[in-house]
Amino acid sequence: MVDRMAAPAIPRKASSHLTATMLVGPATVVVVAMLLLPLVILFRYSLNRFVPGQFMVEALTLENYAKVFFDPYYRTVLSRTAGIAALCTALCLVIGYPAAYLLARTQSRFKTLLILLVVMPLFVGSAVRAAGWMVVFGHRGAFNAALLWLGVVRTPLEIMFTPVAVIVGITGVNLPFMVLTLQSVIEGIDPVLEEAALGLGAPPLAVFRRVTLPLSLPGVVAGSLLCFILAMNAYATPVLLGGPRFQMMAPVVYTQISEQANWPLGGALAFVLMAATLLMTVGAGALVRRRSRQAH
Amino acid sequence: MNIRHPLPTRSWSLSRRRFIEGAGAAGIAAAVGSHGVNAAGSKVVVGTWGGDYQNLIQKNIVPLLQPASIEVVYATDQQPPRMTKMLAEARLPRGTMDISALARNGSYEMYKAGTLLEPDISKIPNAKHLLPQVSVPYAVPHIYSGRVILYNPKFVTEKPTSYADLWDPKYTGRVGVIDVQYLPTIESAAMISGGGLSDYEPGKAKLLELKKMGCKIVPTNEAMAQALKTEEIWMCIMWKARGVMWRNAGIPIEIAAPKEGFVLFISDFCIPKNAPNKEGAYAFLNAMLDPKPQEGFIEDMGYNPSVSDVELTTAMAKRVRFSAEEQANLLVPDYGYLAKNDAQLKEWWDKGFKA
Repeated sequence: MVDRMAAPAIPRKASSHLTATMLVGPATVVVVAMLLLPLVILFRYSLNRFVPGQFMVEALTLENYAKVFFDPYYRTVLSRTAGIAALCTALCLVIGYPAAYLLARTQSRFKTLLILLVVMPLFVGSAVRAAGWMVVFGHRGAFNAALLWLGVVRTPLEIMFTPVAVIVGITGVNLPFMVLTLQSVIEGIDPVLEEAALGLGAPPLAVFRRVTLPLSLPGVVAGSLLCFILAMNAYATPVLLGGPRFQMMAPVVYTQISEQANWPLGGALAFVLMAATLLMTVGAGALVRRRSRQAH
Repeated sequence: MNIRHPLPTRSWSLSRRRFIEGAGAAGIAAAVGSHGVNAAGSKVVVGTWGGDYQNLIQKNIVPLLQPASIEVVYATDQQPPRMTKMLAEARLPRGTMDISALARNGSYEMYKAGTLLEPDISKIPNAKHLLPQVSVPYAVPHIYSGRVILYNPKFVTEKPTSYADLWDPKYTGRVGVIDVQYLPTIESAAMISGGGLSDYEPGKAKLLELKKMGCKIVPTNEAMAQALKTEEIWMCIMWKARGVMWRNAGIPIEIAAPKEGFVLFISDFCIPKNAPNKEGAYAFLNAMLDPKPQEGFIEDMGYNPSVSDVELTTAMAKRVRFSAEEQANLLVPDYGYLAKNDAQLKEWWDKGFKA
């Protein structure tokens, strides 16, 4: 302590600047080289014109963006993607909160094992998990076989290639992110506060509504935003479980760029998807923070 | 520009017998010809779809190049990204691929874009056996198949004779189409509704009729195989090669010939104008046309050889081959029409048919 106080001020500042640069520098270089530059290039491509047989013709046109905004097909795909993402996020929150609360509060010696069970699905890619759902949801899959055996239905249900399959699949993929985010925040809430509320006569539901939920709101917001962003950009699950008719944004971007070689339209779609995700994420975050401030 | 290679994606393993056969094939490496000598000790970069097709190149063609110490390296990607790469590299004096495997509509587009070398046939001795029906000046055809109707005889008791049979109300809800095969599907519908290979437009209304009848749309060829196996789908259109492979795999289907004719699928190899190792590319093409590897592709993939000097004597070859009568009814797609209209047909398929 004495040594640090005795050190001259200016060289210390210079050395801390250097340390900061050295710490942030490599990551900045990677982000600029691997993310920002390709984004700039893709944005430039999105202003080009696609001519069949000629690939991409140099131009400065907004016609690709106009197509995305004014073509009802792309508008429907975008609103469907946002709707599915919002629904899956809500489901993750409703299903994930109790699990996260249990994980945060449990004194069990199996706590580590329980956390490992939540993390375990993340060891497997979403495509593999979707393949698992395909086995369950198929015409002769485990789910239909069980329903037929129980006599609940007489003919197999059509689950594959429906929105239900996609919602279940995306919720399954995103749920661990929600649970882990909430669990870490709930663990930071002192149980004494809940005990005090209960001691003062508040029923458990009121304790949750007035104490636990408001205090865990940062986790709810962070987990929800994470799930929403992941769902907006979901690719493998909609392709494998949604089938050819159920279109979401990420597969449409892929189709334009990799199958149709229409980079200008693919680029425009990618930027619209990114902007929409960003706007909705920032908007929802701001709304929740304002509500939270008003409540206080 | 969306060209899905319809080759099967089943896995295979290299048995000892196959290995010995391959090694034996290496013994006839003289087939590589003088170009093998010119290209000796060099590296040939071959652009392919990867998967089984690439594995079979490695198994059937590469052994013939090994005596000349020609090393084959793969540039693996789907067809559209490879085509884009060829276009992007066209201005460069040296490209990155010596050979590119493309379905015929892809090679046509690349030729029209000025990126392909017209191969010097005198440098490919085996090219003298090429079948005229599948030959073009801008590419060397590798294998081909024709489009047929697949049906489950348990439910479709009358053998189909025309694409129109897919619209028979008896099979409402039991006919399937494949998302990635949108061009052949629209083409087939056009062929029975006043259109044809150079005009797919009438096919659109015809397909909407099929949609109203509850046809199932499956995403991929593999999904169609599964649906045929579980008998969810009773009838579809498909390349004959796949039909043969699926039958061999125990899927309960028969193959019917449409009276409208067999529209060809042709898989080519092309040399980009700026290929760094053109001599190596010629050596590869010559080895590829040798009867031995051509037989290998018949046995393993069910495709017809592009050369006439292959003996089609095995049971598999007999199932794969087109009869003389069928051979006369082979139709070549209008690639010029496809190049101009693929984008709008895909757009209609997504927005008008699937949505």
